[in-house]
Amino acid sequence: MLVDFAIIQRAQGGDSAAFNDLVLAYRKRTLGTIARLISRPEDVEDVAQEVFLRLYFSLDQLRTAEVFEPWLYRLTVNAAYDYLRKQRRRRESRMSDLSEQQVVLADALAGGRVDHDVRQRQQVRETVDELLGAVSEADRLLLTLKEVEGLSLKELEKIYRVKENALKVRLFRARQRVLKALAASGGQPGGSAPAKAGR
Amino acid sequence: MDSNRQDGENAALDALFRAYREACPAPDASANFMPAIWQRIEERQRSQFFLGRWARALVTAAAVLSLGMAAYLYIPHPRNANVNVESYVETSAASHTLDAPDFADPSLDEL
Repeated sequence: MLVDFAIIQRAQGGDSAAFNDLVLAYRKRTLGTIARLISRPEDVEDVAQEVFLRLYFSLDQLRTAEVFEPWLYRLTVNAAYDYLRKQRRRRESRMSDLSEQQVVLADALAGGRVDHDVRQRQQVRETVDELLGAVSEADRLLLTLKEVEGLSLKELEKIYRVKENALKVRLFRARQRVLKALAASGGQPGGSAPAKAGR
Repeated sequence: MDSNRQDGENAALDALFRAYREACPAPDASANFMPAIWQRIEERQRSQFFLGRWARALVTAAAVLSLGMAAYLYIPHPRNANVNVESYVETSAASHTLDAPDFADPSLDEL
């Protein structure tokens, strides 16, 4: 826990200062999780604010302070899922699908102004984004939480409120689809993975 | 042979996910992060407040209307009072007096 239970309880009671403390304590972690879940840097802050907004209005539903972290993860996953669904609807226009950072980077790459490290990171991000495109938004989030965020099955069980075995099956299937997409791309970061490898 | 290939692919995927984690570090929040949250909270509260007031006004209006209708139905109206109070016999007696007998007058049939 990054904060004392007392702070959570005070925030539940409507204490604005305690809520500020909560946000400050969990801001960095939440931003990091969202950055990896949605992979559009310019929207990360907006989604994180939505998470804390939902937290503010749902704190009174939290039964005990002990389950605060899975609760916050759950809000984060839901906000990211809503965002990804909205993004999918907007995906008709290819150019608008590129993030601001991607456009700047593409421009810089064309001009040869980007160093090797930055280029490689961008390539990894694009590859994983493409691979994760082989599964549904819900499975993408689950896979990211497990494989990238490194959450255990026990933690995921608390977040999703689903039995461990059901999670294992979902994860296995999602991973198989991503593996299939990886094999189709030649198994190399930067290879062009198929957009959808069947759900 | 096949399992070796699968192990290799699994290892490649794990490595890719690790690289992805490093390629996506947690961004720093802007200076406007906290004020923007409070602004959004206040906007939501304001809209909830107006929605609540509107809903309360609607409920009050509906309650007043229901009470009004109940009172209208409950209070006896003078126009309908006779119909409700008088029995069939009384009404019949009022409209058929003795000088206007109820049986048919044969002389009228021929008209």
